[in-house]
Order: sequence, then C-alpha cells, then structure tokens
Amino acid sequence: MHSDTVKLKIFRKDHGEKSPGRHDEFEVPVTEGMSVLDAVNYVVENIDSTISVRWNCKAAHCGSCAAEINNYPRLMCKTRIDDIGAEITVNPMGAFPHVKDLVTDLSGNFEIDRNIPEFKPKKGIELPWNIKEQDVTRAQEFRKCIECFLCMDVCHVIRNHSSKYIGPRHIIKAAALDMHPLDTVDRSVSLMNDKGLSLCNVTKCCQEVCPEHIKITDNAIIPEKERAIDKMYDPALMLFDKLKAIGKSGSR
Amino acid sequence: MNKAIKKYIPAEFLEFNPRLYAFILIIAIAVIAFFIFPVKELNGYIDPFYSPTILVLPFVGLYRLTCYAYRKDYNKHIFKHPLACPVVESMDSKKREYSGETSAIFKIENMHRYFLYAAIIILPFFFYDVYTSLFYTGAFVLRLGSIILAINAVLLTLYVFSCHSLRSLIGGRTDCFSCLNGGTLRKKIYNKQSWLNAHHEELAWISLIFIIFVDLYLRGLAAGMPIDFTFMVIH
Repeated sequence: MHSDTVKLKIFRKDHGEKSPGRHDEFEVPVTEGMSVLDAVNYVVENIDSTISVRWNCKAAHCGSCAAEINNYPRLMCKTRIDDIGAEITVNPMGAFPHVKDLVTDLSGNFEIDRNIPEFKPKKGIELPWNIKEQDVTRAQEFRKCIECFLCMDVCHVIRNHSSKYIGPRHIIKAAALDMHPLDTVDRSVSLMNDKGLSLCNVTKCCQEVCPEHIKITDNAIIPEKERAIDKMYDPALMLFDKLKAIGKSGSR
Repeated sequence: MNKAIKKYIPAEFLEFNPRLYAFILIIAIAVIAFFIFPVKELNGYIDPFYSPTILVLPFVGLYRLTCYAYRKDYNKHIFKHPLACPVVESMDSKKREYSGETSAIFKIENMHRYFLYAAIIILPFFFYDVYTSLFYTGAFVLRLGSIILAINAVLLTLYVFSCHSLRSLIGGRTDCFSCLNGGTLRKKIYNKQSWLNAHHEELAWISLIFIIFVDLYLRGLAAGMPIDFTFMVIH
C-alpha cells in the first residue's frame, strides 16, 4: 500500500431521484487485508450512516455485494484495497434498475428464471434416481453460481442493446437443466429463437468477471448455441438424430 | 435505416469504422499478393497457403472467421462491441445499433461446423507436404524447412481439434454418457478435447502467426536468402 489512507468515492442517489446522481468522497484509514466492502462499511459506521449498501456473508459466497469498482464489475468483499490503488470509485451495477446508492433491484432476474422451462424427468425411472458421476460433472460447474449477477452487469448486450437477451446467468441455468442426464426438455432452440441467445457475440466478459470462475461462455453459452445449431442449421445431424430415434423406437 | 438493408447488411458494417476498413485492406492486399507473387513450391517445400490448392483458402478463411476464438477478438477489437469489459472503456453505447449474430452476414457463424469438416479434410495435406519435403530428392533429407513445415502441421492440427464445434459433436450434445455404448471412452475423449479446447484461443493465434511465418520463410528462400540448413541426408 502506498499510503495509510485511501480515497473512496461512493455513488449517491436516492430512490426515485431524477438527477443522474453524484459521488461522495471519503478518506478511509487502511488496515491490512482490507477489502472494498470493509472500506464502505467503515464509512457507513463512522462517517455517513445514510449510505445504502447490500452485503451479507463477506466471504464471496452470497453474491450480495456486487458492484462496479473502478468501473469493473466485482464483489466488494473479494476485492482487496491494496490490489487497486489509492483512489477507488464504487458504483452500483448499471445494468439493473437503481434503488438507492449502491443498491439495485435484481428482482427482474428471478422473473426471467421462472420463464425457463423447468426440469422434466424421463418417465418411468425407478426411485431413487441412479445417476453416474460422469454424467453430472458438467452441470455441477453451473451449481457454483452464487447469483451475484456480475455477468449480467458486464454484458454489453444487456447494458446497451437488447432486453430480449436473457443473459449469461440464465443461460447457465438453462444449460444446467439441458445437460442433466434425466431431463427430457430441450431449451436450446427456444433460447436461440425467443431468448436472444444469438445476440451474444461471445466476447467472454461474463466469464472474465465471474467470481466463481465458471466458464460461462465456453461451457454454457457456446454448447447451447451448438445444440441449437444441431437442430436449426445442420441437416446431416438432424437426419442422423431422426434415424437414431426411429431405430430406437423400432427396437422397442 | 431501411429495414431491407438492415436485414442483409448489419449495422456494424454501416458505421464509420477505420479498424474494419484496415482489416479489409490487409486481407485484400494479402489475397492480391498470393495471386501476383505466388510461391507455391520451392525445393520440395509447398507453401501451406497453396496446399493442396489455393482454391481451398476461402474455406480455411471462413473456418477462422467463424471460429469462436476469433469472434471474441474481432467483435472486441474491430467492431468494439465492446472494446473492453470494464464498463466505461467498452466504447459500446445505447446509441449504437447492434445485431449480434442475428443478421444475414453474421448468421454464417452458425455454419462453423461445415468449415470444420472442410478443415479436417485439408489437414492431412500438410503432413503430406512434410513427407514430400523430406523425400523430394529421392533420399531422406532433413532440413530446417521440413521441421518448420512439421511444426506448422502440428499447430494447425491442434488448432482444428481444439474447436468448440468439435467439442459439441464429441460430447457437448450428449447428456447421458453412461447410457451410450462406449460412453465412458467417449466421455474420456470429451474431457481430453475439453482440455485442449481451453487453449483454443492461444492455438488459434499461434497457428495463424506461424502459418504466416512459414509463408514468409518460403518467400525469403525464394528471394535467395541463406536461411535453410540441411541437418541430415540418408541415401
């Protein structure tokens, strides 16, 4: 650390306020291992208790403290002050409706989640379900998601271009269901046609900001695109799948 | 903008974009150079751009253009959608029109797998070129150029076999490996390919730079530069 204090600029705007908002500056004494969340909490506890900030576990497990730190979407609790320098700007996530100061309204995400076709298991499977490890390892990666929505915040399609695209977080939810060995629903074509999957231009920013290091683009978005292409653009594979299905029904 | 135009020419191509013009200019100069100054074969070395024939170049070019690794690069650095991930440096804005991969031209990206099939068919020719360069006099001659051609062939193979579309065909589209005959082996191949796939971007760039280096090396030889060495001759 270069100095004993750090200059913290926190975005301030009240709920429903018409102005574009402002940044309040605070000098915060630095302690060893201090995170940006610690610094914000220092301000709330010692200087200005009217600042609204959402946080919970302080261990990068709940995803509540997601914000834009020096314009880069990160978890405040996982970002150490000594990693970023003496001047730190903290903004709320700009892709979501603003509530107050650093708090944004994330409820739209849960609405999108509800519109993803739910898990539908194959009929007639005996209980308890017997699933081999090799069949679930891919989908398990997506279960690490802590729903911080940093991937949604960094996505330029959501921020600037289209509300039609459901976003990386929801693609990994759909991919986790699609890759489940007992699931019978295919979500890829509806993702492509109705949920804006083809608006993603694979710039991998979502993957870059994910605090859980989920390979969102490589392991969820691209596989879902490829699955949709199987059904929409690949006549050879479509014929192969049809013949396989006829073969299966004939052998029964 | 006229809707009919928009359907066929995406907004990304209608913006004033010097980066795009520079890219098109470089490609145009390269293609013209290939035809005006061809170095197809020299002392048993066959230029990879002309192997097996320069007519396959559009397929190879389209394979690279529709590749997921390069899509990231040109969407960022040519079209600036976005230029960078930090939100203020993205150079993207609500004012700019955007079509993603929905417009006619970008829809060709969905054909990536067909160009993959073409690339897999073309790959053995590069290894045949290595063989030709080793035995072109009738005896076995190991020269620096042959080693360079061999490295090029291996890099291109690694690049093609680390493809995302191939990953999907090997196992990405399979939900239940244990339900298939030989599913465990397939999952193992899928895992190995996934490891390779994680390096797809590096391989894409290394193989591209190397193939250009091979072309320049052969052109250097054709210009009479003393840059080839013979290590071994077996009669």
